[in-house]
Amino acid sequence: MRERMEKALRASDAEYTDIRIEDVTSSWINFGGRDLDDIGISKTVGGIVRALVKGGWGYAKFNDLSNLEQRVKDACQSARLVSREKSHFASVEPVVDEAIAALEKDFRAIPLAQKKAVLEEYHRIMLGYHAKIQSSSVRYGDSFRKIWYANSDGTYIVDEQPDISGYVGANVRDGDNTQTAFKYLGGVTGFQVVEGLHSEVAAIAQRAVDLLTAPQVTGGKYTVILNPEFAGSFIHEAFGHLSEADHIHENEQMRKLMQLGRRIGSDVLNVIDDGTMPGQRGTHRYDCEGVKTQKTYLIQDGILAGRLHSRESAARMNEQPTGNARAVGYHLPPITRMTNTYIDKGNATFEDMIKDVKLGIYAVDNIGGSTSGGAFTFSAAYAYMIRDGQIGELVRDVVLTGNAFETLMNIDMLSAHVDWGPGGMCGWNQHFPLPVGMSGPHVRIHNVIVGGKQ
Amino acid sequence: VIVEQLVDRAMEEAQGAQASVVQKDLTEVSFENDVVKSAESSQSTEIKVRVVVGGRIGTSHSTDIHDLDGVVARALEVAEFGALCTFEFPGHQAGTAVKVYDRAVVPVTKSELIQVGQEMKGLIKAYDTDAIVRGGMDKAIAKREFANSGGVNFANESTFFGAWILGQRVRGSDIFEAWHGFACKKRAIDHVAIARQTVEMLRMGENIAPIHSGRMPVIFTPIAMDVLLLSLRLGLDGKHVFTKYSPLAGRLGEQMADSRFSLTENPLIDYAALSSMYDDEGVPRRIVPLIENGVVRSFLHDLDSAGRAGTQSTGHGEGRNPTNLIIKPGDTPYEEMVKSIGEGLLVYYVMGLGQGNPVSGEFSVGVRVGYKIENGEVVGRVKDVMLSGNVYDALTDIVAISDGAEWARGWYSGAFPHIQVGELNVVTH
Repeated sequence: MRERMEKALRASDAEYTDIRIEDVTSSWINFGGRDLDDIGISKTVGGIVRALVKGGWGYAKFNDLSNLEQRVKDACQSARLVSREKSHFASVEPVVDEAIAALEKDFRAIPLAQKKAVLEEYHRIMLGYHAKIQSSSVRYGDSFRKIWYANSDGTYIVDEQPDISGYVGANVRDGDNTQTAFKYLGGVTGFQVVEGLHSEVAAIAQRAVDLLTAPQVTGGKYTVILNPEFAGSFIHEAFGHLSEADHIHENEQMRKLMQLGRRIGSDVLNVIDDGTMPGQRGTHRYDCEGVKTQKTYLIQDGILAGRLHSRESAARMNEQPTGNARAVGYHLPPITRMTNTYIDKGNATFEDMIKDVKLGIYAVDNIGGSTSGGAFTFSAAYAYMIRDGQIGELVRDVVLTGNAFETLMNIDMLSAHVDWGPGGMCGWNQHFPLPVGMSGPHVRIHNVIVGGKQ
Repeated sequence: VIVEQLVDRAMEEAQGAQASVVQKDLTEVSFENDVVKSAESSQSTEIKVRVVVGGRIGTSHSTDIHDLDGVVARALEVAEFGALCTFEFPGHQAGTAVKVYDRAVVPVTKSELIQVGQEMKGLIKAYDTDAIVRGGMDKAIAKREFANSGGVNFANESTFFGAWILGQRVRGSDIFEAWHGFACKKRAIDHVAIARQTVEMLRMGENIAPIHSGRMPVIFTPIAMDVLLLSLRLGLDGKHVFTKYSPLAGRLGEQMADSRFSLTENPLIDYAALSSMYDDEGVPRRIVPLIENGVVRSFLHDLDSAGRAGTQSTGHGEGRNPTNLIIKPGDTPYEEMVKSIGEGLLVYYVMGLGQGNPVSGEFSVGVRVGYKIENGEVVGRVKDVMLSGNVYDALTDIVAISDGAEWARGWYSGAFPHIQVGELNVVTH
């Protein structure tokens, strides 16, 4: 492959060119309703050429690998069409490397029938748990991605990226009242991450039943404590995306807003993106431009300390590339993305955090979130009221909204342990799904707007 | 011919088979931070095979046109322990012709797409030189082949053309983005109107209007209809009805919304974004009234959900996704609607839709682009506001439906009027 790719690169007359080719084998098993819904295997092969001419990018994407030279020429032609100025592109040392995935239980070696049997046990537990459980949703997907990357600097990298993602959920209904309780699954270390979850599955089923009678939260402004998984989602959505330099490097006003050295959160707050952590969803040795991944402080002691760069954004902002140019697949060029992002631990206990809260909310696990500039919205899978320093009743439909810049200043306590969950799939416009790690300790925030009944 | 080969190979071991091959050429340019950032050509191949062996279904996908044996073999492998099959692959049924191919799309060059973008950008900049513009323009030509063991065999070609533009304004820590886009199968889309719509949203958002928490009337603009349609799409899903997960299960023929509310599925509109003569399972598309004068008339079915529920596919294979949705306009001019409101919210774009429990109808979304109505006038945009309620309650609390419909393309694509709901919950600082 190296020879073919390097030969094709020689057909380029652009300032910079790279080729990424991926071979992805994936399988999926979905139980929905009361039965097996869908099971399948897919195999995709495709690639993308990127060419840079005077600041303009040309791309050629393809499933047919037979004429790489022509794809390179197409990309160069597109790039020339949109060229306009001096290119900004940070140089990095070329590398030649091969990263082989190390899996504890290699899911490629496990027959689909055996995978199905594991998932089916969870499905049966859900359905048999309670008469009000109408249906269960148990989804599993694995993918093994082999990547060949070559660029005109002389870099050649072969990488292997395994990933498992899944979901276990129970749907309950009582008259017009329908509720869902669930948990995301995921990991990069092998099939064992989805094994042995029987008691967790039963707990999810119980929670779904409990949610049927749980009241809707009363809308208003509260002190909120996020559990580690929710804290990870919060920092990812509310702040992390603002650190992706693609969205700031050509935008003068955003640059001002995200000026390094600016106070952005309370003193206790440290936020880190680290693409090198073993065994996490967002971990890779290199990003999609051949840059080594690293640990980057985004917020240090409440001060904006860094951001996530591609080679282009780094050059434009006179900073260093951070190894954060990531692509969801061969069909899209890389953009600056997070890897594993977390709020660093503090020193409080959960009891410290809760004891002086008269009326608050303990929000557990995230359903999803989205952002627009500094504004965010995200939802708890479930939550409890905090009343007079004690965990109170289960409540549902807890959705938080606010402005990142205000909310980060309102964090006053962090617990002493960062607890890594299953991570998740991040979407940015059509750039979905990208595996990322997200975590934090328990996080206490004051004055959070919670949507719900008046 | 490839699809016939795939079906023939599968039928050596299978009792039923279906194959599709889609070959697509897409050309796209994108604008970022006021400049043309990239241009691209994309060639894609998508092969799908579905087989039935011993009463069980197996599916497999591939992108490799040289791996026909492999894709069939994997589908057969999966079928051994696949889901039970409750349907038969249909035979040929005559469909209704619909125009999906516009020759004018074919010769469009990247330079022409850039020109379209420049004109749209010019209009945004003419309104506000400080606004930062992003956008995208694309065109595609797709060739689709389909065959199954029931005797369906067809090939068709369709075109696609789309454009969107966004203006971003940053003032201090306040970031406001407004955008609009449109896509269909025809070259002749009005990109000037798209840019003007974006400018109008920016203009209306010059001032931030304080709003307080409480229950108040809300107007959903056509592009905001996703909020109401998401729960309806899940509720009308034949599979959710069959499993009784849907709150509409067992309510066929019952009144569930205001009697002025009618929702129809129409895949047979010439050149509309999601029109086609056949669905992805070879079943002819047809017009399906889903809700008529507030009464549930039909659910969405593909072969699988129809088989399980003991009914017929409605031409929504595979996956029961709606095509072009049409909400019947009412008789209130939009301006009258606004005038009638003392204090209320006019919603364009939301964020966080689908979080929570959308099938139940409950929604709680952040308002991304929305405006305050005060004493019958739009007085400015709202900030840090959440809107929550229940879709099923909202549909019985419709105050007015506007007398005109506009094409909108969000999560769902179709022609929608403005809908004014009596009271929903607004939460803010």
